[in-house]
Amino acid sequence: MDPATSRPAVVIDNGTGYTKMGFAGNVEPCFIVPTVVAVNESFLNQSRSSSKANWLAQHSAGVMADLDFFIGDEALARSRSSSTYNLSYPIRHGQVDNWDAMERFWQQCIFNYLRCDPEDHYFLLTESPLTAPESREYTGEIMFETFNVPGLYIAVNSVLALAAGYTTSKCEMTGVVVDVGDGATHVVPVADGYVIGSSIKSVPIAGKDVTLFVQQLMRERGENVPPEDSFEVARKVKETYCYTCSDIVKEYNKHDKEPSKYIKQWRGIKPKTGAPYSCDIGYERFLGPEVFFNPEIYSTEFTTPLPAVIDKCIQSAPIDTRRALYKNIVLSGGSTMFKDFHRRLQRDLKKIVDARVVASEARLGGEIKSQPVEVNVVSHPIQRFAVWFGGSVLASTPEFFAACHTKAEYEEYGASICRTNPVFKGMY
Amino acid sequence: MCLQNFPCQEVERHNKPEVELKTSPELLLNPVLICRNEAEKCLIETSINSLRISLKVKQSDELENILTKKFLRFLSMRAEAFQVLRRKPVQGYDISFLITNYHCEEMQKHKLIDFIDIDKEISELKMSVNTRGRLVATEFLKQFI
Amino acid sequence: MILLQSHSRFLLQTLLNRLHNLDKTIELDYHWVEFDDVRYHIQVSMKNPHHVLLSVSLPTPPPETVSAFYGGLPFGALEAIKIAYSGIVQILDPPRDGFNLTLRLNLSKLPPDEEYRHAILVKIASVREVVLGAPLRVILKGLGSRTAASNLDRLVALVHRPKESLFLIPQAEKVTVVFPMRFKDSIDIVLATSFLQEFVEARRTAGLSNAPLCLWSPTPPLELKGAPAEALSANAGFVTIVIFPRHVEGKKLDRTVWSLSTFHAYVSYHVKCSEGFMHTRMRRRVESLIQALDRAKPDSENSKKTGHNASFKRLSLKEGRTSRK
Repeated sequence: MDPATSRPAVVIDNGTGYTKMGFAGNVEPCFIVPTVVAVNESFLNQSRSSSKANWLAQHSAGVMADLDFFIGDEALARSRSSSTYNLSYPIRHGQVDNWDAMERFWQQCIFNYLRCDPEDHYFLLTESPLTAPESREYTGEIMFETFNVPGLYIAVNSVLALAAGYTTSKCEMTGVVVDVGDGATHVVPVADGYVIGSSIKSVPIAGKDVTLFVQQLMRERGENVPPEDSFEVARKVKETYCYTCSDIVKEYNKHDKEPSKYIKQWRGIKPKTGAPYSCDIGYERFLGPEVFFNPEIYSTEFTTPLPAVIDKCIQSAPIDTRRALYKNIVLSGGSTMFKDFHRRLQRDLKKIVDARVVASEARLGGEIKSQPVEVNVVSHPIQRFAVWFGGSVLASTPEFFAACHTKAEYEEYGASICRTNPVFKGMY
Repeated sequence: MCLQNFPCQEVERHNKPEVELKTSPELLLNPVLICRNEAEKCLIETSINSLRISLKVKQSDELENILTKKFLRFLSMRAEAFQVLRRKPVQGYDISFLITNYHCEEMQKHKLIDFIDIDKEISELKMSVNTRGRLVATEFLKQFI
Repeated sequence: MILLQSHSRFLLQTLLNRLHNLDKTIELDYHWVEFDDVRYHIQVSMKNPHHVLLSVSLPTPPPETVSAFYGGLPFGALEAIKIAYSGIVQILDPPRDGFNLTLRLNLSKLPPDEEYRHAILVKIASVREVVLGAPLRVILKGLGSRTAASNLDRLVALVHRPKESLFLIPQAEKVTVVFPMRFKDSIDIVLATSFLQEFVEARRTAGLSNAPLCLWSPTPPLELKGAPAEALSANAGFVTIVIFPRHVEGKKLDRTVWSLSTFHAYVSYHVKCSEGFMHTRMRRRVESLIQALDRAKPDSENSKKTGHNASFKRLSLKEGRTSRK
């Protein structure tokens, strides 16, 4: 027996904004770090000189600089304090964009953060439901050739988010996953563990847009925030103070009546001068998350509210799955963490569904009464890393190791084996 | 590299590189084998509409051997992007290119020839491995001083 | 990152987190594994939020080192723990099931000074260095203080990795350390072999003349006479490092113990980094090759077109005729 199967598998969920990594069987990931790499590129920009000796010196400097990089929060800190480091975001909109950066990011995840020997553990990685099979091949190539992992499974993150409900209730592998990450929002219907690919809907509005909107609102009101820091401040404001309201107009009134209760203060230190500053946080507290429900306040190109997108998604799924899908709408991703987000979503979606039922009953002349459709938006405390948790649960089932592609298989058949990853029994 | 379009003789509406099929000897020319030595050779097989070039790269030690293997595997995984690269090399060789009349029509011949230069890449890779080894060793030993 | 840190990043983060939120009662139960199969388990219960239970399991010792284990711990480890963590840590006897060592740490007993606290937590997070490095430290310390130990000139085997040992030959004025180097993957073996030879080369450069002497040989060196047969097979050869008293003076001792006891992990880490580096290079090369191909096409507009209907073109008879003319 492979001794690696006796050790917990490594579970890494690389999101556009944050990466969650840890060992299977645990409740929480070990680390949640921003998916970013700070690379020292100072040597790259020098032109190649003709003299051999000089070239050699540059070459070894290049090899060295290749090890001189940081990931996560350290990367952000480095790039702020020194101009020799350039930030590179390996994942954009849920897809790996820069494989060099991605490979380095994984390298540090494994050796510096988790400090494990990749040859000792099976790996579970995640991908978006829209990832191309080629990208899976490249992932396999890196994992098997660079890190020599004994086994690899690439899971679809929405399926994992569903599996996260495993412990909280009876495991239900049919449902709609509303995954609002930092860079991408997907509405993914899953039936019995299989993604209904043709019905996936994507929304071009995600967590980063909330941050940008908050930043824009604060700038327009002329808040005293140093421009070079304003994006980070907006992100922190979003994470600490934003909430979902039930009605914008009412909420405006509430704020105007009792400003002392609703307006918060933000205190920071200017990065350049070190002088302290403070600013007010007002309407953006509820206007930020509102971009999902009334996108027209933020963008003119996309104006369909999230509940309507979910409804369209379910309506395009096979008819025998629809009731089950309405019944189990699962939230995942950091940007669904706003207070009361699930309540608002459930209310708005229920309105759409009820209106349709009433309309169809009217059409039929009230002769046939249809059974009411149950709409249920599920929220649980681990939403922020639900995908990781689902991965942790699945990777600790005995079936997981059999479902993995092994290094021997990779060497026998090549990277193309990574294209498919079977849905396995532990998922039910 | 005088290749022309040639529809398949056996099956109507098919058009296949004859050098791969080798079904009709009248369409094939004698293959040319160029050897620098046992370890480095180049086999050129030609036919009426296609040309196959197979290379065996010099591998003087084990390190060069695995670097060549790694590099060529990396290339063949991306064969689609290259069009002229064969996914599997001809037996006994490290890498094979298949050039058909379409490639010649689309691309300028002399530039197509420029393309193949693997030796240099391998020696550069080897040097970077050695440099890195040296740096890693130096950093380790520095700790003791 | 070039050198491996001696503390576990996750353990330190967890301890600091706990310390900063002492008033919150939480349940914590985490299992994880580090390189060389060192396993950890940390536990905090709701009842006793100030107490942290930390269990460590060590790599399976190879048969030749079993005699140097006392109660599941390597020689000298118990004393080392007592010295390093006096007053804050209690050793539970027996340890948790499946672990070699369980420590109970009382966070409320830490001194108030912030910097000192941090230093103590770092030390606790480096528990593997303290425990696994203990026997090596005892021997090297003997060298530093130049007191003649009883086991002079005898071959000593210590656990290096699961079921693999490193060998020491302590002498009055030097300690010779021999590492049989083994790797699983065939490519790793070749790369590591070339790296290990670079250790010898690097040592010859002027700046490193004070560094320990390094030797590499594909066959077991003479020093290993008398070692068990299975210890004498190594697919990446044998590295010999000779440590002199100047390498273990004062504060250098800790560093030396850590570097020697994680030598394999260090080489293995860099072998993998260089494989990643090769991928980066090859990706760049592929890009430039594709560009070269694109340049070979007469004009870019045409190439775009053919890219899209390549299969279509193959079937078109009319085009075929024109090209035959």
